[in-house]
Amino acid sequence: MAEHLRERRAVSRITCMVNRRLSPRITQRLGQLGVHTVFIETGRSVREVHTRRRFRLPGRVVRIEDSPVEVFRFTVPREAAERVMHALIVAAELDAPGHGTIYAQDLMEFSRAAPPALAAQNGPSSVEGGSEEAASGGVSEKAPVSDSEPAGGGERPRLRSRVSQVRRTRARTPTLLRDLTALTCILSMPESGEQISKIALELGTCVPIVTLGIGTGIRDRLGLLRITVPQDKEVVHLLVPSYDAVGITRLLIEEGRLNRPGRGFLYHTPVRAALIDTRLRVGRHGHAASMEQIIAAVDELKAGTAWRKRFPGLELEDADATHQLRRENREITVICSEGGAERLVSAAMEAGAGGATTARVRRVKATDAEGGIAARERSTIAVAADVCERVVGALLDVERGGAPCADRVQVLEAPAAFSHRS
Amino acid sequence: MNDKARVSIPVPTAATMVASYARRRLLEQVRSVAFVIIYLVVFQTVILGVPPANATSIAGGIGMVVFGLAFFLEGLLLGIMPLGERVGVQLPGRGGILVIVLCGVLVGAGATFAEPAIAALRIAGENVKAWEAPLLYMLLERSPESLISAIGMGVGGAVALGMVRFYYGLSIKPFVLTIVPVLLILSVAWAMDSGLAAIVGLAWDSGAVTTGPVTVPLVLALGIGVSRAAGKSEGPSGGFGVIMLASALPILAVLVLGAIVRPAAPEPTTEERFFSSEHREEALLLFDSEKDLLRHAFRRGSEAGRRAYFDDEAAYLEAVESLGEDPGARRALLGEMPLSRWVAQRASDGERERMPRVLRAEEPDETLAAPPAPVPRVLAEESALAVQAIVPLTALLALVLVFYLRDRPRYVDEVVLGIALALVGMTLLTAGLRLGLEPLGDEVGRQLPRVFRGTEEDAERIVIEDFDEELVFESIGADGERRRHFYLRHEGQVEPVRFDPERFREHERVYEHVVRRPALFGPDLTALGVVLVFVFAFGLGYGSTLAEPALNAHGRTVEEVTVGTIKRKSVVRAVSIGVGIGIVVGVARILYDISTVWLLIPPYVALIPVTLLSDEDFAGIAWDSGGVTTGPVTVPLVLAMGLGIGGEVDVVHGFGVLAMASVYPILSVSIFGLIVRARQRRTMREAEREDDDG
Repeated sequence: MAEHLRERRAVSRITCMVNRRLSPRITQRLGQLGVHTVFIETGRSVREVHTRRRFRLPGRVVRIEDSPVEVFRFTVPREAAERVMHALIVAAELDAPGHGTIYAQDLMEFSRAAPPALAAQNGPSSVEGGSEEAASGGVSEKAPVSDSEPAGGGERPRLRSRVSQVRRTRARTPTLLRDLTALTCILSMPESGEQISKIALELGTCVPIVTLGIGTGIRDRLGLLRITVPQDKEVVHLLVPSYDAVGITRLLIEEGRLNRPGRGFLYHTPVRAALIDTRLRVGRHGHAASMEQIIAAVDELKAGTAWRKRFPGLELEDADATHQLRRENREITVICSEGGAERLVSAAMEAGAGGATTARVRRVKATDAEGGIAARERSTIAVAADVCERVVGALLDVERGGAPCADRVQVLEAPAAFSHRS
Repeated sequence: MNDKARVSIPVPTAATMVASYARRRLLEQVRSVAFVIIYLVVFQTVILGVPPANATSIAGGIGMVVFGLAFFLEGLLLGIMPLGERVGVQLPGRGGILVIVLCGVLVGAGATFAEPAIAALRIAGENVKAWEAPLLYMLLERSPESLISAIGMGVGGAVALGMVRFYYGLSIKPFVLTIVPVLLILSVAWAMDSGLAAIVGLAWDSGAVTTGPVTVPLVLALGIGVSRAAGKSEGPSGGFGVIMLASALPILAVLVLGAIVRPAAPEPTTEERFFSSEHREEALLLFDSEKDLLRHAFRRGSEAGRRAYFDDEAAYLEAVESLGEDPGARRALLGEMPLSRWVAQRASDGERERMPRVLRAEEPDETLAAPPAPVPRVLAEESALAVQAIVPLTALLALVLVFYLRDRPRYVDEVVLGIALALVGMTLLTAGLRLGLEPLGDEVGRQLPRVFRGTEEDAERIVIEDFDEELVFESIGADGERRRHFYLRHEGQVEPVRFDPERFREHERVYEHVVRRPALFGPDLTALGVVLVFVFAFGLGYGSTLAEPALNAHGRTVEEVTVGTIKRKSVVRAVSIGVGIGIVVGVARILYDISTVWLLIPPYVALIPVTLLSDEDFAGIAWDSGGVTTGPVTVPLVLAMGLGIGGEVDVVHGFGVLAMASVYPILSVSIFGLIVRARQRRTMREAEREDDDG
């Protein structure tokens, strides 16, 4: 029994999805903040690109373009979450459309080491980069540019970028959005991630982020016949207004044909605060401001996204009736050294889980408590609330070489989930 | 997963699942080989106007290629690559850097001995003449084991160096910027030396062919595993770059080996002097005995060389005549070479006259359409080679994983199945290539010189028995010139043939009619012919590369580690275009007999700034692309074409084409990478611009 993993801590998990060019800034800033253990996953952001037709023909061509992103995930004490988010927003200029998305989710974590007590150890000034910021509760107007640039990142900012950054931070303090829901779609069919992303882009919710994973579940029970079933999954991460979450879910189910066997499933998890990337489209536009800029401005003015509601009258209960959304679920995330996920998932499935999606992540800023190789596996398991305790217990019990197999187990509420069997 | 949880699938459902899975995989491979097959057949039938011989055998062989590719690729993805990756991930955790280095050396060197590239190099050097390039001959024929050892050391060192790079998260760029200039400088220096010049092409081709279809995916997977476990490299593409080293260090090893061996080899000289008795002692440095030297004179030399070997005319004539009369003497002088081929390719007119008449009559059939080897024998030979290529390497990794790292693959049954599929696949693939694609490529390669040749050639010899001169009649032209003709009935057609008295042996009553095939574009249109050869070379390189299994595995890996931001198809297409261009340049080298080194310098020099500008990810991917291109599909087809053209224009050897096919993909993928990066950066640039405007 791995007793030292049994302690349960209420923490916030921050997920920061940034264009890869900005990754060094995030890594450096997290180091300065004292966040020692960060898990990085590679993904891609999907945007529409609008271009003129060739030979000056009338009309426009719209195509989908991918950019590489890195998804940083780490946990911090709940009280420090928003200040850490602000610090990262300044470091990577996440308030500029196209740079990335950041959000925090409150969850329970079982881990060998407590998350860094940033506020207690470093004080607000070290988190936010200046005492003036602590007073304002937001981002410093004098946020030092050098802080946001990596020492060895190899990217020297242009003067114009510096000027724009100073002007932006002086002009406004980015407001974190509330009332958002994270929609995680786990898709089985090849290239279906692009299809779901297109729907999200058409709805104008946010920039979809696609990551890859390997599915474990019924496939593993087929013996060698499993090789005939593709194990690769595409995971689409969307942040949508909570008011519209059900309506968007319904659309995704219908358009993505998730109500058919073998297509995939999706679930909701609550978001405490977020700043989302609204650069859904790239290309020329003929207006003084782009639609993304207008949306971002109204979001900020209204301090939320409720004004965007487009499926009036459709609440969770209504969707339950039509699409049998499963209520009262939990998302369990377990992180372990590469090679350990198989045992953990197997134990979880024996305890009642239906399957898992395992992604490869790499750990940076190693601490002694979680030594060994940097290659990690992150398995995500969606279960009904009533079996959650049992599955978590089974995960914590799995040992490898005399030590707990899992580095950390995180449990998060998932108020709604859908698969064709639900 | 325990057996209790196992789901039982009814047999008909299971059969449907397997059938659907097999259909998907086969269709993928049909698409990948379709281009090159259609291309070859269309080129041969439409442009060259010659229908493929042995069509049934070729079609069967192509079918085997499709199945072989499907099995082999599935074997790589299910068995070999997961095994390599698992070892790579676990090595940094349990073993130190020394263990990683040792493992790298063993895998690299083992791969070379398991998949000996020497066979391909020997084919490229099959026309090498000992007097023109003695050092090259010595390395290829006299001491191939030292050549294989040098290449093995190069690849072993490269894989070890690659693992060290991943372990410490070092950039590929410093390696490129030091190794490539050193190689170029050495190559130029060697090219200036008359004794060493010939091995420059061999060295660069060694680098190209050494990374075989098993080695590449295995080393790639191992590197990705080590890189991910070490976690030192930024970005997703750590793990690439080791194939580049595995291509570059063997070049260095062969160049150094050449310098070491050079004092033991005689200087290049003329054919007459080489075979003369005064030069015998030096010539015997390259041969075991005088008998071997004489065999070389017959197999690769001309009449002048053979005459120089014998001190007196009578002995020379006796030896030539013994070829036609005494099978034992024929075997001693020609070895495996059929007498008919010797008569067609090596014998002078005087020597041909001394051959029996029947033999002369049969020669075209025998040389143009060799009977296909029996399928069971080919399968047996190829399966032995497949076992040799796959089993030792995978066994080594499996032993390291189980006994040293105390781990096992995620799905042991899948890995075992994968290795079995890879064995079956490689056997079918190489056997299919031998039976199907290679003969087709050979035929086209042999016919290809017609498109740029300015004069007509001998196509067929018809011996007319019991010829009666009374059949000959006279014709008259407008200028009063008289000519003698007779009617020949051949293959159901009656055609007038001009009578040549020299071809009529009156005492035997035999007339030998030589069918002349005209130049395809006439004597004044050779430039168009050359262009057509270049077009063909590009298409052949492009099409055969599309079907390369190692490249497909490389493309899938790139797509996976970049989460689809770089698509497999794009990488495969960029590499194929590069190979196509490279082969065009390689063919130009042969056609115009340009030194390999002068054609290698410009692209490699261009690559230095391009690499500096590239992202770290793409630099590794691009440089690895050079190593993955030259695999089992491309090499035989390209060599067949290179030798076909080389034989026509009488160049020393066919080296250099493969080296070109390696360098240009690096350039094309690097440029593709720069385009992708520019496109990806646009998103952020536009955001910054709008933000500034706002």
